[in-house]
Amino acid sequence: MRLALRPYLLIIPALLLTCGILYPFGLGLYYTLFDFSASKPQPDMVRFENYETVFTQDAFWNSAWVTVLYAVGAAAVETVLGVAVALLLHRSSLVGRVLEKILILPLMIAPVIAAIIWKLMLQPSVGVVNYLLRPFGLGGVQWTDTPTGALLSSIAVDVWVYTPFVAILALAGLRSLPTSPFEAAAVDGAGWWYTFRRLTLPMLWPYVLVAVIFRFMDSLKVFDIIYALTEGGPGDSTVVLQIRAYLEAIRFQRYSFGISYTIVLWAVVYLAAMVLVKHLGKIQRKAAEVK
Amino acid sequence: MIRLSGIRKTYGKVTALDGLELDVREGEFFCLLGPSGAGKTTTLKTIAGLEIPDAGTVELDGEDMRGVEPYDRGVAMCFESYALYPHKSAYDNLASPLRSPRHRLPADRARERIGEVAELLGISALLDRPVGRLSNGQRQRVALGRVLVRPARAFLLDEPLSHLDAKLRQQMRAELKAIGAVRRTTTLYVTHDSVEALALGDRIGVIRDGRIVQTGTREEIWYRPHDTEVARAFGRPRINLLPGAIAPDGSFRSADGKVELPMRADAAPGTEVLVGVRPRDIELNGRGHELTGTVYVTEVLGRSVEVTVRLGEQHVSLVAPRGGATGLRPDDPVRLSVRPENLLLFEADRPERPGRRIDHD
Amino acid sequence: MTVKKRLLGWLADAALVLYFVFALFPIAWMVILSLKPTNELFSTYFSFSPTLDGYRTVLGDSEGIPFVRFFVNSLVVSVGAVVLSLLVGLPAAYASARWRFKGSENLMFTLLSFRFAPELTVIIPLFVLYQKLGLFDTYVGMVWVLQLVTLPLIVWIMRSYFADLTPELEQAALLDGYTRKQAFVRVALPLVKPGVAAVSLLAFIFAWNNFVFPLILTSNEAQTVTVGALSFLGGDRPKYNLTAAAALVSVVPPLLLALTIQRYLVRGLSFGAVKS
Repeated sequence: MRLALRPYLLIIPALLLTCGILYPFGLGLYYTLFDFSASKPQPDMVRFENYETVFTQDAFWNSAWVTVLYAVGAAAVETVLGVAVALLLHRSSLVGRVLEKILILPLMIAPVIAAIIWKLMLQPSVGVVNYLLRPFGLGGVQWTDTPTGALLSSIAVDVWVYTPFVAILALAGLRSLPTSPFEAAAVDGAGWWYTFRRLTLPMLWPYVLVAVIFRFMDSLKVFDIIYALTEGGPGDSTVVLQIRAYLEAIRFQRYSFGISYTIVLWAVVYLAAMVLVKHLGKIQRKAAEVK
Repeated sequence: MIRLSGIRKTYGKVTALDGLELDVREGEFFCLLGPSGAGKTTTLKTIAGLEIPDAGTVELDGEDMRGVEPYDRGVAMCFESYALYPHKSAYDNLASPLRSPRHRLPADRARERIGEVAELLGISALLDRPVGRLSNGQRQRVALGRVLVRPARAFLLDEPLSHLDAKLRQQMRAELKAIGAVRRTTTLYVTHDSVEALALGDRIGVIRDGRIVQTGTREEIWYRPHDTEVARAFGRPRINLLPGAIAPDGSFRSADGKVELPMRADAAPGTEVLVGVRPRDIELNGRGHELTGTVYVTEVLGRSVEVTVRLGEQHVSLVAPRGGATGLRPDDPVRLSVRPENLLLFEADRPERPGRRIDHD
Repeated sequence: MTVKKRLLGWLADAALVLYFVFALFPIAWMVILSLKPTNELFSTYFSFSPTLDGYRTVLGDSEGIPFVRFFVNSLVVSVGAVVLSLLVGLPAAYASARWRFKGSENLMFTLLSFRFAPELTVIIPLFVLYQKLGLFDTYVGMVWVLQLVTLPLIVWIMRSYFADLTPELEQAALLDGYTRKQAFVRVALPLVKPGVAAVSLLAFIFAWNNFVFPLILTSNEAQTVTVGALSFLGGDRPKYNLTAAAALVSVVPPLLLALTIQRYLVRGLSFGAVKS
């Protein structure tokens, strides 16, 4: 076997399989140039009309807004809560060491199952959450039945599932920090807050940012949780972009139009990834300087 | 026998080997000396077939190795990192070549052979241990053992002693050449330590920037270094190099005019040169050319003393027996002497290359 | 000082416990709910007479929902997806860790972009395509589309494991007289075996937990537990205890597996970006 050929032979199967996934993607891209739907199986070329419709629809801008609210809200809460949990676990108290072993449980539950679980708990009249809140005079919250409540509830489920994700990465980061700067700071008599702001946070930030990137980009394309918890309702209040695409393409069987939505979302995710990854590189260099 | 001719190897924009020529004779112990990044490891891996050169040919026992896979080349290599299999015991590491399709021995013959090698290297008691539980020195022996355990056309040893502490290194250096298999087999030994090269090498090759600068016996390298950098690489304290020029009569005159050394240099008058004298070749009050200066500083090195002397605007260092240098204080006047045959003459160093040696009598 | 420190320690532990109540209560509540008899479903909260009837109903395929078959389906398509990804992904991961060559980085980046691509971009065309090809609601169709989940994970993480392994170990094996294939099998593979095991389990979990692929690309024959659990919520009368039992049954395999690969999770979850 010629030396130069060997690596190519090894990746050929993976390349073929990758093409097997790229093919439907390309096919989808091609479909968006037509008006393909269940009612029109012999479609006509409409060029960019689908995209024009997408961008001129209020429904799109509403979905885009809801998606951004959801992604920013979920990623922000998960970051703060996850880092806090990691810091608390990093103390390695007896309680912490025990709890750390079960930290991952919510993360390993399928998001759709998590949403089902919460849906049962948040049921206004017979759900356990309102039952527990009754002593506090809050027995009748319409969790998923008001627009704001539905969005916040969905974010809460996302937070429940994914906070361990941020916590696990942040904890790995904390454990890999060099000890000498902290010893030096302790010798200099630096306070907890100073040490946290000037040492822990800058060195930890690259790890946290990896988590934030994953969470933000994943929540831009959230589907399972919303599908099971609210199905986009009430009204259009939680119709994020992937749900909209699903409704258009599968419910109403307007394939071309539905795919156009996902292509737009794909472009948004891609742009977000570019910006965030560039930022990550910068942050990693800075963290290396602190070390 | 190993012969490399015109070997070029680049990694992207970095040139690792730049037209390297190397000739290692049958049965010889050849030391390749050079600083890190000179291309030593790449040279070994090119011979082993682990790196494929961009140009040039590798010959083993006169056979062109182009297209021959590493496992068909019949060379054994000891890696600088040792490259021991971390999931296996010391015994299984040593047994690895003897279980391979190329060098397979029946299990009982293999056990015998491993026993011999382990005995030789003093690791018999360690064979059952996983390599993770061995010290650096022990790992190094196992790595060496894996090389010695099977017959080979050539041994390629990559800084095998570099991670050891000074005492162990000295001991291993002495043992290494005494090993029968090493005595019989062509060995290419790579090091950055000139003392090691002088102690071990039947011949020495000096490598720099991917080329061989000079090849020769230790005497040739020591007494007729190719250029100032080779001269600087061997001997501690380092060789003294005094800048100056060739006078019309062919003698040397230092740049500050304070030092004159009569000689007939093989260079045009006015040529800028460096004159080199090794510290151990300068005597206090001895015979030969005489120079006078004042003591700058002295430093005791066990039984001898390193004396740094101010000679005009230059400093030269010399190593004198302790008895001859006692009582020297800074600013004391001293008389130095150098025998003419111990003088080396070089072109002045230039930015693009170190000064080459010039003949003189 | 020490009293203050102790007090702060308690506060920190209390905060942790608070978070873990939030994290674990829903799971506990599911257990409770799944044990309730149907007639006490809406009349009781914490005190009731527990019964396994819910599980019997779910696993007994009553209510017209063949949950056991869904469970087997999940098992088949997840294992299938992981095995295919391993067969195809391991050589690719090894090649791209060992050699820098044209195309390798492109492949890696394409795979990474799969991780972040909205699933529907691929599924909707596949929904159309599968119906033409007869792959709709089949194991083959599911295993194919699940590569979107398992292949990037396995290739990226295995590449990071192979890259951590110095190539000199395999080079030593070549000089010991082994062929490249033998060097890979005898030296490289045993050393990354824990990594292979962990990443396979993680990929299995993600495949198992996937919802959107079976939702759109299966209807009955190849449907999996995630979609199946949701169907207990449908119908006229909400069967909360059955939903809870189905949900619990469907999370047992991933939870058990996850607890065995804790040590490897960090690298797996971050696609090799963070090593622990």
